[in-house]
Amino acid sequence: MFKILRLSGLFVLFALFSVSSEAQCFSFAKGVCKSTMGGYVYDGNYNATILNEGETAEIYKTFFKGQAYRVSVCKADSLPDVYFKIIDGENEVLFDSETEQTNTWDFEMESTQQLIVQLRVLEKNPSSRIKISGCVAVMFGIKNR
Amino acid sequence: MKRVLYLPAAYLAVTLIFSFTSCVSDSSQKKEKSVEAAAGQKVNEKAMEDFNKSKLIFYSLPSPLETAMLIKRAGATYDEDLLNPLNNIDKYNTNIKKALNLGIYSADLSYSSLFDQTQSSVKYMANAKKLADGLGILNAIDENTIKKLENNMNNRDVVLDIISETFMNSNAYLSEENRPVMAVSVLIGGWIEGLYIATKLTNGSLTNNKKLIERIVYQKLSLYTVLNLLESFKGNQDADYLRKRMDDLKVIFDQVKIKNTSKVEASTDKKNKVTTIKAESEVDISPEVFDKLLKKVEEIRTEFIS
Repeated sequence: MFKILRLSGLFVLFALFSVSSEAQCFSFAKGVCKSTMGGYVYDGNYNATILNEGETAEIYKTFFKGQAYRVSVCKADSLPDVYFKIIDGENEVLFDSETEQTNTWDFEMESTQQLIVQLRVLEKNPSSRIKISGCVAVMFGIKNR
Repeated sequence: MKRVLYLPAAYLAVTLIFSFTSCVSDSSQKKEKSVEAAAGQKVNEKAMEDFNKSKLIFYSLPSPLETAMLIKRAGATYDEDLLNPLNNIDKYNTNIKKALNLGIYSADLSYSSLFDQTQSSVKYMANAKKLADGLGILNAIDENTIKKLENNMNNRDVVLDIISETFMNSNAYLSEENRPVMAVSVLIGGWIEGLYIATKLTNGSLTNNKKLIERIVYQKLSLYTVLNLLESFKGNQDADYLRKRMDDLKVIFDQVKIKNTSKVEASTDKKNKVTTIKAESEVDISPEVFDKLLKKVEEIRTEFIS
């Protein structure tokens, strides 16, 4: 009985923690990341989540001909670096933030394509059992013209 | 903000439950291996490590704002008669109808704002607020938002910023409150409304506005995004209903051909610091298929707003 209660307590604790982390992620995306859009109109889609060190994520998005876009990736200070690549359907890399050393990329589409934004959170110490987690947000902006 | 976590099995289980159903909004997410991990009774360290390194997949649909921008950029015009009548709002008594029509009114709001229709924009924002309130979305759109919109109607940048932020607020709230199906429904409502407006603006002709036709044809890619979004929620009554309607659209879009005939390339003009992504591609839609598409989109949209 005591064990069940203890487990339930743990469950509630972690549940509250998760919900509060997600709420922080929203504040982070809205308060910090949105400002990276500069002269682009933020599309209003919310792409943010808590990621752990070493985790990867992919976002599939169609980019339309004749539009100019900005992709911006930002992360909580607590996390190690987060790199992103933009690849096409054939796995060809069109942009790599690690090479370019920037977390923002502006481009124009001359044909409509579905592209993939691949995110990778680096690991400070891969052998460590202690993993840092934090919010990562991907923002898409469109030039209004 | 800084948090260092040790990840015991209990955390893994809770994270699975919460992260699987929350977090991302406009895009839904799928944590590969999460199903197995959630169903499994025993989680060892190796599995935990694999889980931590597993891949999250998100799908991002064009938002109502992006769709409206695409329609405008294609040289289309404004037609107020295409919008969902404001007084329809009283019909929406279920959560799924509220969510779909929150997306639909958001698309109408975006469309009217981009064409500088001041009065309409304020009215559609007010309707979006009512539906957001009805869904229990706290503070997504408040009275100040509407006042700010009214006061800045001549400043389109501010207007677009207000619209994108309110959409983000609704979507993030639903996702983070573990209501991802409602979040997806808002997106699908907005997407269908954009598709409806675009198809109606062609007047049924494949030749009147080729740019607009191309925008419509490429919604085939968006439809696959919609289907992927819904895939995560199989068994949910609302998601299954939407899936069925989207499958009807898929039957038609499957007859539309889109093919890249060259590699996708990114080239950067160093002088102007502009990168361009291009590829040769072919698209094909017959008049018969286009006609079927128009009718099906109208049928689905009529069902959503009824």
